[in-house]
Amino acid sequence: MQKSKTLPSSDKVLVIGGGLGGIRTALDLAEAEKNVILVDKDHNIGGLMTQLDRTFPTNNCDLCTISPNLSESGRQKHIELAALTTVTAVSGEKGNFTATLKTAPRYINLEKCTACGDCYQAFPDCVRFTPGLDHRAPTCMRYPQATPQAYSIDLEKCEDVEALVKICPAGAIEPDDIGRNREVKCGSVVLATGAELFDPSHLDYLDYATKADVVTSLEYERILSASGPTQGKLLRPSNNKQPKKIAWIQCIGSRGIQKGAGSHCSSACCMFALKEAMVTKERFQEDIETTIFYMDMRTFGKDYELYYQRAKNDFGIRFIHSRPHSILQPEGKDDLELSYTLEGDANKITENFDMVVLATGFKVGDDTKALMETMGLELNDENFPRTTGFNPVVTSKPGIYTCGTLQEPKDIPETMVQASAAACMAAKDIATTPKEEKDMVALIPERDVSGEDAKVGVFICDCGENIGAVADVDKLVDYAAKLPGVAVAQAKGHGCSRESMEQIQQTIIDEGINRVVIGGCSPRTHEAKFQELIRRAGLNKYLLEMANIRDQSTWVHGAKPVKATAKSQELIQMAVAGAIASKPLSEHSLPMNKDVLVVGGGVTGMTSALELAEQGFKVYLAEKSNNLGGVAKQLRKTLEGDDIQQFVTELIDQVMAHKLIEVITGAIIVDHNGMPGMFSTGMQVGKQMFYRQINHGVTIMATGAQPNRPEEYLLDSHDNVSTQIELQTMLEEQPDAIKRWENVVMIQCVGSRNADNPNCSRICCQNAVKNALRLAEINPDTRIFVLYRDMRTYGFQEEYYQKARAKGVIFVRYEMEEPPQVQAAGEKLEISFNDPILGMELKVKADHLCLSTGLIADKDSTEELAMTFKLQRTHDGYFLEDHVKLRPVDLAMPGFYVAGTAHSPKSIRESLVQARAAASRAQTMLVQDSINLGAASARVDSDKCASCLICVRACPFDVPFINAEGYSEIDPAQCHGCGLCASECPAKAIQLMQFEDDRILAKLEKLFDGLEAEA
Amino acid sequence: MKNFEPVIVAFCCHYCAYTAADMAGSQRLPYPANVKIVRVPCSGKVDALHIVKAFEKGADGVYVAGCLEGDCHFKSGNTKAARRVEYVRKYMEEIGIEPERLEMVYLSAGMGYRFAEVATTITEKIRELGPSPIKSATAGQTGQVAC
Repeated sequence: MQKSKTLPSSDKVLVIGGGLGGIRTALDLAEAEKNVILVDKDHNIGGLMTQLDRTFPTNNCDLCTISPNLSESGRQKHIELAALTTVTAVSGEKGNFTATLKTAPRYINLEKCTACGDCYQAFPDCVRFTPGLDHRAPTCMRYPQATPQAYSIDLEKCEDVEALVKICPAGAIEPDDIGRNREVKCGSVVLATGAELFDPSHLDYLDYATKADVVTSLEYERILSASGPTQGKLLRPSNNKQPKKIAWIQCIGSRGIQKGAGSHCSSACCMFALKEAMVTKERFQEDIETTIFYMDMRTFGKDYELYYQRAKNDFGIRFIHSRPHSILQPEGKDDLELSYTLEGDANKITENFDMVVLATGFKVGDDTKALMETMGLELNDENFPRTTGFNPVVTSKPGIYTCGTLQEPKDIPETMVQASAAACMAAKDIATTPKEEKDMVALIPERDVSGEDAKVGVFICDCGENIGAVADVDKLVDYAAKLPGVAVAQAKGHGCSRESMEQIQQTIIDEGINRVVIGGCSPRTHEAKFQELIRRAGLNKYLLEMANIRDQSTWVHGAKPVKATAKSQELIQMAVAGAIASKPLSEHSLPMNKDVLVVGGGVTGMTSALELAEQGFKVYLAEKSNNLGGVAKQLRKTLEGDDIQQFVTELIDQVMAHKLIEVITGAIIVDHNGMPGMFSTGMQVGKQMFYRQINHGVTIMATGAQPNRPEEYLLDSHDNVSTQIELQTMLEEQPDAIKRWENVVMIQCVGSRNADNPNCSRICCQNAVKNALRLAEINPDTRIFVLYRDMRTYGFQEEYYQKARAKGVIFVRYEMEEPPQVQAAGEKLEISFNDPILGMELKVKADHLCLSTGLIADKDSTEELAMTFKLQRTHDGYFLEDHVKLRPVDLAMPGFYVAGTAHSPKSIRESLVQARAAASRAQTMLVQDSINLGAASARVDSDKCASCLICVRACPFDVPFINAEGYSEIDPAQCHGCGLCASECPAKAIQLMQFEDDRILAKLEKLFDGLEAEA
Repeated sequence: MKNFEPVIVAFCCHYCAYTAADMAGSQRLPYPANVKIVRVPCSGKVDALHIVKAFEKGADGVYVAGCLEGDCHFKSGNTKAARRVEYVRKYMEEIGIEPERLEMVYLSAGMGYRFAEVATTITEKIRELGPSPIKSATAGQTGQVAC
């Protein structure tokens, strides 16, 4: 741990909350070489996401995607991690805050705890923290990949403290721990405590408090989760039988529906419910029925609409547009009786279900509210922090930023984007750590081991009881000592403890060891640690092999100690063979070009450029048209009332005036080459099409999207039909003409959510509400009809939707199969549509028809750019990020980032958040002087290569090519190290470093030698 | 053959299957000790040569374990691996070795249970099939008795 690290006074950022958002902010800052203190009130960081089973829209397992982030966070040298810690006060001002941190006792010494789990094994009910489904255990590690990798103990729950202390083989349990209070200085603060989930216990008509089979969506998630209370088996809590019929009820605690509910929409629950229903259907197919009761399906994110359609069409999930009236359980019956009504039908329907899942929404926790009040932040009516219109991560207090669900309810990708944006802002308030401090540990030079016979050092851990109580470690050591090539074999207790590490280091040096085998745990968790160790002992870090005798032997063959010992011998023998075959490898590195190319001069591109320039980087801002500003120049006001025109004008002035930004308008990108950190991009500029080449290290794609203009509903053929953008201009410029309108009709989803453009354009519902409110303001007597499919006013927008309804705007739902019909009637328009509540067709003669046409990707331009830059796009022409959940700003090509509507339709606010996120992500790369590309790359032996092109076709990343000399060449800088080319190469001309054929074959050979020896 | 203990080699991809094996470990889920894991960066890295070598040296069963379909860390490694496994199975059939001795399995990193389950069913299946004909043949030549 970083306990001895002293950080200079205010040159650091305090990140409060170690959920996904806080972790991302901390990592971005640390990678940009800023110091961070990351505090979390829990025992381990990870927050809400570690409790989820799978995440939408990929339905991937969560632990696998989050755990790399978590361990990264534990390792980063710029991050001081303070678990079990709360912030009690923050005083001072931007650049110089003082925060009081209160750390609760863990009763476990982090230095000594090896996370062996003996303590929880001895106290059988322990470990799992499953909200609402079991009690909090006396010792607890929330999930297997937890960071810090250590348990924590609730001493009050423990009846026999002495026995507990004794059970720990590492002597890590310290019942006298009293925790500590301290003050820290910081330059800025990021509040990322997240939101809490609404507790539906008081809503008696849902009967959540007393009926075991009524669960919240998070509890359902825990039931599905492999690490949950039922080990992933879907069982009814009441009787442990598999349910046959499950219902989800949406909007519990959101949209102001129930007592105590927030007026906002919680944004993530629709997708959350869809995912749970889909995963359920995926697993039980025809054996289970899933029904979702909803008000509006709000699947507004990137490709989320497709997910919804898949749920409906491919998975057979039933959707009922209704708010159930009550859940009852008749005496003596197992089933839950759910009653509801359908639109246009007053009759009550009663239907039985085995389980009901309540999709509970987000609210601000009391602790966080108290903390924000202590800090002096302004809060909104729902106790969320008030933030700035065009920069939603900025709170009312300079130097204090926020992100994630605490800023506004949102899902994981948007939390990740905002977290990076918060890092971008927070970084500006502190100084960068001077470079000299970075590599204080001077390493002894690497020893050249070529030409030496193998002298393997085998170090075997007992890992306390974990290995030692099952396998005979002495026998393993004797066995290893006799293996050919082994010079030293030793038992090392806890090999990863500091004491053992020092001993191993010394033994390597003293005995002239040139290959190292650790017999212990998994290379996944400990390889990096031992690689660093042998490097400190003067060996190349790749001369290491780990035999995973704990996870693969003693833990799983605990009941068969003889077999476990025999298998451990084989694993060690294989590892020794692998180590002997290992070769020193050098990591590839390149000098970093610190200039930036931003493609696209709209508000997003300009904001990214400005943020990077302010951090001292030279930025080239290339814009295809002759002016900066993009689509935003056509817009007037945001839903919240902020003036877009004024904002754009000021932004353009700032960009034009900045010394480090070079604006290149009329630029058409024509070629691109190089590698991450060393790109060069050619463009033709201006009327004369002068060719110009820019060298840059990173690229930000901010090319935007276009307002859609489909030929529907008389658009462009009738004077009184407009788009929302045009209507907004009229509202601002000719309010007097508009005052005379008696009837106005708006139609939503025109050109979106249809066969041509299946996704939701996200921005149209809020624009319709915005313009409807303005219309009502100009003339309260105008009758306004909004014909919609689902009103998607997510987050705080819901309040404006409610306001519009209160002002008398009439919202009428229509089905895609039965769209409104429009006919010209002279100057006016006749619109007929079905009113589902009245159950009859209505006709309205409107003075004006406004179409919500949304956004569409500029397919031609993104196609060309994608080809030039080798980027991937979605089916509908937006750039495809590297990971839709966890890396929503990074593109798959390292050194490329995406922001704004080039990523997917979004509002100005959201685009600007992503613009700053891209700037933050770019900085993590730009601060490096060289780029380490690792060593696990494929190498071609040109003598053996027959240039058959098989590798060229096999590579998932298009890296190999046939060079001028006629053989295959693989650029180590671009190679991802999967080894597909190596396994496909018919001439065996390609070898993947670290996993060479002779190394794998040596392991196989020795495995069977070992078996023969036993026989 | 009485008390036959098959030797099974499991090539596990680093990102999913190997992690699933670690999960089986941390959850203490028992599976037969017959299964020995070789870690590879991606299931697509497993060469036909590696599979054949394992059988040649005396494996009674081999399986290649990659990420769930569509989840490969390297996009398409698991589907390429599956194709290669299919190819080697045909080849095994031609030379008179039961193709059931070789399998492709898919696991996500969180599937510790599934890892243990797969290891158990495959071991049982191979146990029923009996020792690999290659092992018996080579053992005959060298005068050793298998196991």
